[in-house]
Amino acid sequence: MTGFFNMTALFNISLAAYFCAMVCAVICLMTRRNLFDGVANGLIVAGVTIQTLYLGIRWVEAGRAPFSNMFESLVLFAWTVAVVYLLLRIRTKLPWLAAAAAALSALALAHASTFESAIRPLMPALQSNWLSFHVMTCFLGYGAFAISAVASAGYLIATRQASVAQVETRQTLETIVTQTISFGFLFLTLGILTGAVWANSAWGTYWSWDPKETWSLITWFIYAAFLHFNFMRGWRGRRAAWISIIGFISVLFTYYGVNFLLSGLHSYAKG
Amino acid sequence: MSDSVEAKEPVAKPAWGNPVTRVLGSLAFALTVVLLLALACIAGTLIPQGSQVEVYLARPGGHQVLGVLSALGLTRVFYSWWFVGLLFALAASLMVCTGRRYQAIKRSTGAARLRVIGSFITHVSLLLVLAGGVVRVIWGQKGAIQFREGEAVSSAESSDGPMVLPFSLRLTKFELEYHKKTTGAKEAPVDMILVQWAEKNLIAHFPVELNVEHPVVPADAPAGASPAFRVKVLRYVADFALDGATGDVKSRSDVPNNPAVQVCVVGSGSTNTQWVFARFPDFGSSDSSIAAMPLKFRFMAVPPEEMGMRGGDIKAFKSTVEVIEKGAVVSTRTIAVNSPFSWGGYTFYQTSYNPDDLAWSALQVVRDPGIPIVYAGFVLMMTGLTLVFCVGPWLGDQRRRTGELS
Repeated sequence: MTGFFNMTALFNISLAAYFCAMVCAVICLMTRRNLFDGVANGLIVAGVTIQTLYLGIRWVEAGRAPFSNMFESLVLFAWTVAVVYLLLRIRTKLPWLAAAAAALSALALAHASTFESAIRPLMPALQSNWLSFHVMTCFLGYGAFAISAVASAGYLIATRQASVAQVETRQTLETIVTQTISFGFLFLTLGILTGAVWANSAWGTYWSWDPKETWSLITWFIYAAFLHFNFMRGWRGRRAAWISIIGFISVLFTYYGVNFLLSGLHSYAKG
Repeated sequence: MSDSVEAKEPVAKPAWGNPVTRVLGSLAFALTVVLLLALACIAGTLIPQGSQVEVYLARPGGHQVLGVLSALGLTRVFYSWWFVGLLFALAASLMVCTGRRYQAIKRSTGAARLRVIGSFITHVSLLLVLAGGVVRVIWGQKGAIQFREGEAVSSAESSDGPMVLPFSLRLTKFELEYHKKTTGAKEAPVDMILVQWAEKNLIAHFPVELNVEHPVVPADAPAGASPAFRVKVLRYVADFALDGATGDVKSRSDVPNNPAVQVCVVGSGSTNTQWVFARFPDFGSSDSSIAAMPLKFRFMAVPPEEMGMRGGDIKAFKSTVEVIEKGAVVSTRTIAVNSPFSWGGYTFYQTSYNPDDLAWSALQVVRDPGIPIVYAGFVLMMTGLTLVFCVGPWLGDQRRRTGELS
């Protein structure tokens, strides 16, 4: 199938689509012309479509879910960020969020290109149907948390100077942060649980305090705290935005920092 | 994703006048415990856990640092008394919160009721997961088995001494499989000596290494027979030629135009040497002393994966075992990573192998009566969270829209 499709071209086209989407969204912010917002969103849809094709072909070629190393997980991360943004876009129109989501996806793909992209056979522990469930659910969570962190950062910037004109934007951002964290928490939980079931099947223990497991739990704690403050104390605004950003820093360490700084059962993920 | 998350969750105030339950049920207490657990987890990932003393001593101020870390239980954070205490504090908080949510279910209505039910189920699920962990610690067993092909064991080594099994387990076969190279660059071929028995059966193979002796067992020898021959490579030349004046072997160049090896065979009461050519495999077959030898040699460059050699990526390692009860084999199964085998309440997992002894295998045996409780917790957790984040808000949206339309 790779003979029919040029995989490098598909990768580069999706990267270009996200980059151009970011440029169009920025132009929309500067010129306030809706045309550019439409083009930006169209490009993100195109980027997601091409990436979906890329992931599908790679899945068929590899004979397994293409989520087993740093290159593949970064490609998946770019895809989940864009998908979560598009789900939000159905209800909410914020050109700067389009710019930020497209920039994140483009950055993830550009970074992925620095890693080895050849399809490698899986080590025995990864040869399981749980691989696709576990990684996909975790990364849908990561994608949602990335959007929530971007929206939180936007909220903190927008609320530096309070004004009546910003009230609607602030409320929209608060809603986005809560929605994306709820969505991400659901999928992160599912990711942790599927990982536990898989670990029990592979090693006979569902929890071994491996650094990746432990940092997922820390991330889970942070977002659980956010949701409790949000639902039970009605926390919104800057405090909630800061917790969201701290949560995403924890996500980044769970995903990236653990791979390169700490060794454990997930050490293969750095390759 | 719905936007109906604006309202605070209707959770009942504690019905008990007991100040202890009031504290345990407070959000401040729960989040303080969670914060402390998170900090402990961070410490547990940044400080080496359960390492040899030398690892800690190798760091600046080793002795003092190790003393402080040991005193605080920071070298085994997740098994320290204070970490277990924090988990119990979390469980106590969860129990009180669960009780409060149960009361709140009665007072809530509509979509909000679904979310409170979801929240209740989620808290129950966390308690189940913690309870499953306690059951594992109290009644669970974990041991390690190491055996070679043909050996049977009826106990495993564990940290609490021998873990006796109510049956025996015999390793009948261990297999190591490699991925075939279908993508990416192929590994460079390796110069190999293939040893055949009477030009038919391949009975041995080894890479070309000068003066390294390789034992060879004849094809018709009974299993377990000691090697009848010893083979070694005495010399390698890249471009074989004979010196016209002296008749000695020399290499015309370093380019492998005519690679050849000189093989020495000791066995059957004699020692033979012969040259084996990569490009002329039949050269010398007319020599009567060579033709009389039962061992035939081939010299060729072979991709490692074709010989099943190490160097390729490992695809799987499997142990085929027999379960023996009262002297009779009652089951035969193959255990591999991600494919454990359960028998009599014990589950066996493939954990390791010895690349230098492929008849050896290591298994882990686990008996964990807490697993059904933990898995029930997992199912309930996803059910609860789905009610809180999906079904409840969706129902709220539907009702709001219906209200707007009417």
